[in-house]
Amino acid sequence: MSLMADTLTIAAVSAGLFFFLAGTVGLLRFPDTLTRLHALTKADNLGFGLIVLGLLPQSPDVASGLKLVVVWLLVQLAGASASQLIAQFASKGGPSA
Amino acid sequence: MPAEAEWRQSVFSLAALRRFATYLALWLILIGFNIADLAIGVAAAAWATIVSILLLPVNDRQISPLALAKHCLRLPWQSLVAGADVARRALDPRLPVQPGFITHATGLADGPGRNAFRAIMSLQPGTLPVSVAKSGDMLIHCLDMSQPIAAQLVDEEALFLQLTKGGEKHPKRNG
Repeated sequence: MSLMADTLTIAAVSAGLFFFLAGTVGLLRFPDTLTRLHALTKADNLGFGLIVLGLLPQSPDVASGLKLVVVWLLVQLAGASASQLIAQFASKGGPSA
Repeated sequence: MPAEAEWRQSVFSLAALRRFATYLALWLILIGFNIADLAIGVAAAAWATIVSILLLPVNDRQISPLALAKHCLRLPWQSLVAGADVARRALDPRLPVQPGFITHATGLADGPGRNAFRAIMSLQPGTLPVSVAKSGDMLIHCLDMSQPIAAQLVDEEALFLQLTKGGEKHPKRNG
């Protein structure tokens, strides 16, 4: 059981790190603010979700697991809202590069 | 008190109580249960309830639990597809992005429903809502204009409308 949990943790956290790396590469390579926002809202969100998923089997109790899930939900909500505000600002003539 | 006013009052009290319970539960999950801290948690939840009622007034629109469950199950999959799509483009040496804008005429009324739809769309593959006009025309930034994004947006909105029983449509566009 512990081996399965550890395997899931290693696989999910590694996948999460890969998507964080991909998001960062996108942030550096994509041509403008709006396309960079895609990299941050999509790849980094997935990376964070996978890391939370990987950490869940390691939580000592249900309360810690629930805390991880709530933090994940709050980050999703903040990411979805903030990305739109930045997009709106950027499209109104804010910094474009 | 007339029956309708009494009914509205009970809907309001129930909704306020539900919000308070949700905020208190969130506080307890994040901070942990401790009798000495509980007074702060109750005060924080009460303030959050007051602010939320001011910002997002109570209404009697109901969310269909079945549609909500269906949506919640789809979101992680959509997030996976969206993340994998961006990762593939970012890591491809040819950088296959073809950015551009499209306008989506939403049927959702201005308010929490439209905002929730925008938030969900920002997590979908290839779309990023930028702004929305009072008329309901939503400006969407797309990562790849060669994808059938307009059709995808129409499908997503139809699915989203199933969340609210009877829907929450824009009066001008959908009657």
